[in-house]
Amino acid sequence: MKLQRDVYIAGVGETKFGRHQLEFDALGRIAALEALKSSNINRPDMIQSAYVGNGTNGLVTGQTALKDLGMCGHMPIINVESACSAGGMAVHLAARDVASGFSEVSLAVGCENHTLHMKTGTALSPAMTDIETVHGAVMTGKYALRAQRYMYETGATIEDLALITVKNRRHATNNPYAWFKGEISVEEVVKSRVVASPLTLQQCCGIADGAGAVVVCSEDMIRKLGIEKPIKIAGTVVRSGPYHNRPRDITGDDITEACSRQLYEETGIGPDDVDIVELHDAFTIAELLYYECFGLCGKGEGLKFLRDGNATHGGKCVVSPRGGMLSYGHPMGASGAAQIAACVKQMRNQCTGYQVDPVPRVAVTHVTGGGLSGTEHAACTMHMLVRP
Amino acid sequence: MGDNSMQKQLQNTFFHPDLLEIPADGSPAYLKGYRCRACGQLDFPKLNPCPRCWGEEFEVVPLSRRGKLYSATDIFVGQAGMKTPYTFGYVDLPEDLRIFCQLDGPTGSFRCDEEVELTVGTIRIDSDGALVTSYKFKKIGS
Repeated sequence: MKLQRDVYIAGVGETKFGRHQLEFDALGRIAALEALKSSNINRPDMIQSAYVGNGTNGLVTGQTALKDLGMCGHMPIINVESACSAGGMAVHLAARDVASGFSEVSLAVGCENHTLHMKTGTALSPAMTDIETVHGAVMTGKYALRAQRYMYETGATIEDLALITVKNRRHATNNPYAWFKGEISVEEVVKSRVVASPLTLQQCCGIADGAGAVVVCSEDMIRKLGIEKPIKIAGTVVRSGPYHNRPRDITGDDITEACSRQLYEETGIGPDDVDIVELHDAFTIAELLYYECFGLCGKGEGLKFLRDGNATHGGKCVVSPRGGMLSYGHPMGASGAAQIAACVKQMRNQCTGYQVDPVPRVAVTHVTGGGLSGTEHAACTMHMLVRP
Repeated sequence: MGDNSMQKQLQNTFFHPDLLEIPADGSPAYLKGYRCRACGQLDFPKLNPCPRCWGEEFEVVPLSRRGKLYSATDIFVGQAGMKTPYTFGYVDLPEDLRIFCQLDGPTGSFRCDEEVELTVGTIRIDSDGALVTSYKFKKIGS
């Protein structure tokens, strides 16, 4: 879907990610208030709509998060659930809202608290109505199947996959919002305990809590608010996963390939022009595959792209400059919005200690969502952000 | 396990009669494919209506008992309530269908592209503590 008029981000907010005693709604308010204040918005009735992404925390999560900010009553609050894509999808809907002229200012929030509600030592799985779940499926295992096949077909080793964790944790070293960060060796990654072979603990994103928020505005409103460094949402794409229970190549990802193609077509901006990417690196293997799905390199060249240093500072495209999910952890409803918040800060040169140089002009974000039998993912949300 | 005890268990906890047939005459179990009588598409599991043409009449097609293991993983941190480790994978059948299933065999013993065959066994324990029986795959002859 092409946006009918120009849409901009005025301000963003995020909490530190990790294990929180604060519930999802309190985390959401922290991120929302930071996004609103940084957008020069100083009272609740300036907002005309809100979309709130959450995966697992129950009903009316958006109203729960925003009522104490005085935002209930005068405007629609719409709750968005698509598992790990929810936060990204909330931003997508806020952008559509402004693009269609329904609102001049819309707030998107992603917030989640898993650790107050999940039994430790268990893995996230899709709903028990799903045939694969009944047979024992967990998300870690579904990615492990991709890793096993990728290693079998390409000869990549577990040490190769570990390089993704090493890179992303290094990127996050000075990022105050990241949870796991700093130096970690390939050996430490490989020797951590096996979660779903060949994926070890340090190749899996942590089960975390957190929130991100994005204020989306029309061009006119950006001027009225006096925003000095607006970031344009050049494109926003949501798709659902093609369904078929037939053999297919899972070293690719049909839904991500379709989303990125659509994003490039609608924006007229190609993969060679993308400076930074925050993608769904819930597991090491995913980032490696997505280099290829995004067209950052050719099919089968992902590992070379990584080894040649093209996915880090000084390379062709800095992938996961905030440290990705492998550093932040992955509160499912929050991640998509937090990725966008992190990219906006990069494009505004606000990331002291982990700033990409030169300051990025084009950023892409990507969250898939939901294990659903017969699909690679139930949903996928991507955004293209441009610094005018 | 004798036929009688198997039958008793199946009545209580069998998942799911539309998917797996265990013939009463003792002949080998098979997965049930569903061919749409309107458009001819073959699906597993059963989808009603047919997702291609919304046809609602199907012919049951016994699926091949052997297939090729596309990928497999050993699960050490599993679903809440499931005993670990367990192994699952994708098995590709000659009918151009991919089956997600648990694999019967020691951890670390399965390889991509090896041939595997259908078996029947316990896949989980349900919330009442009953064993849930369904299809699984195993190495040929194991």
